[in-house]
Amino acid sequence: MSGTGTHQLSISINGRHENFDVEPRSTLAELLREQAGLTGTKIGCEQGSCGACTILFDGEQVRSCLMFAVQAADSEVWTIEGLASPPPENQTSPTPLAGLPELAEAFKRNHALQCGFCTPGMLIAGTLIGEACGGAINEERVKEGLSGNICRCTGYQGIVQSVVEVFELKTSNPAGEKPQ
Amino acid sequence: MTGSNETFKEVLRFEDDALLNGSRRFIDDLEPRGTLHIAMARSPVAHARLASIDIAKSSSMPGVHTVLTGEDISRHSTPTPIGWEHIADQRRTESLAMATSTVRYVGHIVAAVVAETRAIAEDAVDAIEIDYDLLPAVMDVDAARETNAPILHSSWPDNVLATDQQTSGDGRSALKSAHTIVDLELDIGRAFGCPLETRGVIADWGLQNQAGSQRSGSVGRLIVDLNSQSPNRVREVLSQVLGVSVSDLLVRVPAIGGGFGAKANYYGEEIITCIASKVCGRPVKYIEDRSESFVATSHARDAKMSVSIGADGDGSIVAFRSDVVGTLGGEVSSVGMGPIWVSTRAGTGSYQIPNADITTTGVMTNRTPFGSFRGWGSPIANFAIERAIDALADRLSIDPIDLRLKNMVRPEQMPFQNGLGWRLDSGDYPEALRRTLKSVTQAGWFDEVTDATSNGRFVGIGLVNFIEATGVGNSRKMGRLPMEQGGFDEAVVRMDSTGTVQVFTGQTGMGQGIETTLAQVCATALGANVNDVRVVFGDTDSCPYTGYGTGGCRTAPVAASSVMLASQDLQGQVLEMAASLLNLDEAELTISNSAVSGPTGEKVTFADIGTAAYRKLNRLPDHHSPTLQARYVWDPVDRTIGYGSIAVMVEVCADTGLVSVLRYHAVDDCGYVINPAIVDGQVMGGFVQVLGSTLMEELRYDEDGNPLTTTFRDYLVPLAGDVPEMTVEHMETLPPDVPSGSKGVGEAGTMAAMSAIAQAVEHALPGGYGWIRSIPLSPELLLHHIDAATP
Repeated sequence: MSGTGTHQLSISINGRHENFDVEPRSTLAELLREQAGLTGTKIGCEQGSCGACTILFDGEQVRSCLMFAVQAADSEVWTIEGLASPPPENQTSPTPLAGLPELAEAFKRNHALQCGFCTPGMLIAGTLIGEACGGAINEERVKEGLSGNICRCTGYQGIVQSVVEVFELKTSNPAGEKPQ
Repeated sequence: MTGSNETFKEVLRFEDDALLNGSRRFIDDLEPRGTLHIAMARSPVAHARLASIDIAKSSSMPGVHTVLTGEDISRHSTPTPIGWEHIADQRRTESLAMATSTVRYVGHIVAAVVAETRAIAEDAVDAIEIDYDLLPAVMDVDAARETNAPILHSSWPDNVLATDQQTSGDGRSALKSAHTIVDLELDIGRAFGCPLETRGVIADWGLQNQAGSQRSGSVGRLIVDLNSQSPNRVREVLSQVLGVSVSDLLVRVPAIGGGFGAKANYYGEEIITCIASKVCGRPVKYIEDRSESFVATSHARDAKMSVSIGADGDGSIVAFRSDVVGTLGGEVSSVGMGPIWVSTRAGTGSYQIPNADITTTGVMTNRTPFGSFRGWGSPIANFAIERAIDALADRLSIDPIDLRLKNMVRPEQMPFQNGLGWRLDSGDYPEALRRTLKSVTQAGWFDEVTDATSNGRFVGIGLVNFIEATGVGNSRKMGRLPMEQGGFDEAVVRMDSTGTVQVFTGQTGMGQGIETTLAQVCATALGANVNDVRVVFGDTDSCPYTGYGTGGCRTAPVAASSVMLASQDLQGQVLEMAASLLNLDEAELTISNSAVSGPTGEKVTFADIGTAAYRKLNRLPDHHSPTLQARYVWDPVDRTIGYGSIAVMVEVCADTGLVSVLRYHAVDDCGYVINPAIVDGQVMGGFVQVLGSTLMEELRYDEDGNPLTTTFRDYLVPLAGDVPEMTVEHMETLPPDVPSGSKGVGEAGTMAAMSAIAQAVEHALPGGYGWIRSIPLSPELLLHHIDAATP
């Protein structure tokens, strides 16, 4: 049965503080999609298995379908909308996952998406694994890092290739400038 | 005038930007103001009579608007038609979208709750009280065909939906006189398309007219948003079962998160959601959840095949027989037993076999309904013929590749009638196999196997062939089958006052990139810059009628042909106006990059021409009509058959029996390749899906009909670590009567995956070829085989 009453909470989403009234049983994914209007976070299973709802939660990779909205009180959340687009002028804190827009470009170049439903989650997970690998990136590590994200269209080759390509570049040239 | 030779093969997809930043809207991202939510009550048992349903408690819960039962559905709708009801004496169920008296599978809908939120609706579903009088569950085709088997549909004499047979030459009798005969019993497991986005629909029927309204038949407009591959088909089915005219129905399709055939079927939830909107006078939204998807979205593949192949002593195949029995579900899906039936046409694959006899039978069981999954029945047919050839090669001690080359249809025989009703229209089949062999040899695959083997590893290579029927049509032939759907495709191409071009298509995008490829086709035929072309789809009011929808690999051969021909027509209109604007003769003009030029540098842009056509008619002589628009309807002459060969390298783990696919190479001929990256993506993605159903995916049930696979933890789809390095090579044989020059390719990757992996595993292990008879490959079977074969 549903719990009674709602809880008020404040979350920083994509660099903006927002207040919400949530039901105890609402998931963070539902809050983001239905109350904050950020539908770029996709729901593929609600079982924590597919990775489509992956977000950045206090700097960590989190499946937003597995977390209750009330657990996100006073946290800092970033979704694909904030991570992939240029920051608005009034944004106060810098956007994390600085490598994500470049990974998105590589996805496009390498045909790493077809239907695009897994793509927001893949970009977030891919950037995190790329950054975590540092100098030691290779296909095997990327494949392992992406093993919690299902893509049913592409066969993953373009996705893995994109992560390796972008973060190899970043490592060999930390300033992030592409060698010509 | 001259045509344009511009191509834009390397263009990046126009779909991608909005998908990469999360702004593209899928069905669950939409919600009109005032939307109510519907949740389905589904049967927890496989076979039972509905003794009673008590909705009193559920209906009175706060936030619940209505609870619908089978009685409501029968009052508001008629039985769901079957699209593929094409086999003589195919039986009918006359079933409604919801069970009324009998449930026939776990997941069968027995009631539905409409409420303020999805959560309230789900709570209220739990409060419905239902008594079931259990009936024995019939879970496999052998049990279903026993003399005293419980009958699922009481008006039928048995559990068989239909049987179809196709023979060529002397059929089965030719087998008896063959020098060598090999028999195989094959078994393929149950899998499904399993798109990452589940199914969803929003119905908004508006408020109902009062009695005495002047408008005939209208009860307000019904607007349906859903993630279907076939919006016009859905529109016609809803029109028929709900008694609404087609024109009073608007069907719209947002971005689709993968289809793979699962969304080409139409479903009861769509009908129930429309009725819910009618009853409540509000928009109603249904989103299938993941657990539901495993019992509610069409299952596929699942077949047993009894196969015989006969050959002369030199390996010339003289006869082929296959008896295919498909494990259907408790109700009949929108494609009937079409995916099983296709074996009667595709059965002999890439080979010339003078005598064939193929029988297909669809048998009802208490499982989820059986429908479409990428490849339809062709991967099953491929498995039968390719396995039979491997077993024959083993018996005759001939190399499997040599045996294939000896029996393949040769290019000089094209077009080749396969004797089973299909015309293999074009291509060089043996060359695809030779090229595959050459490429993997040059890439060092065989050296790698030799090295691995000498280190005691079980590594092997499989090389097999496939054909793929694409561009299904022609409409008159389909009508005679009989089907109620044509195969033609209509396209409208319109240039606006700024010179930008819109292509309106009845096809649907679901990840396969039609917003890019159809723009490329239009730009090339018209002489536009591809960046000036937009593709519009997914709205039955504004987009043309394409009854069959997007399936059967129809976009490249059929839709691209209608777009190309409409664009050529529009080019004629553009040149005519340009000639007037430039005061030159049309024959002197060239058209490219969205501009028309004369012989000495005179030039008008498409924007200039668009301005004249819409806003400054005074610039044109009186004989010009305003606006720039062309329409073309292309009805395919026949199917066009894609083909190719694939190679895989696998390793079998001696300790676990698990198979890893290490490498994949395909030589694919889909005619003219519009966009190589997209085509390769289709081939690789299709392969990986069937790699899944060959090695890890299977929809399983216990003996009482309880599904055992209802999460991604039981139904294992391939992850990044499960896929090999993949390469794709192309041959480009233009089919003789396809204007676009392209064959379809969306299903090509699925065709030969099971066959190739099976052969490669046999190559890796001792024991010769042809002993793998069931899919998915079981590690236990392989371990047992390894134990038995190694001293």
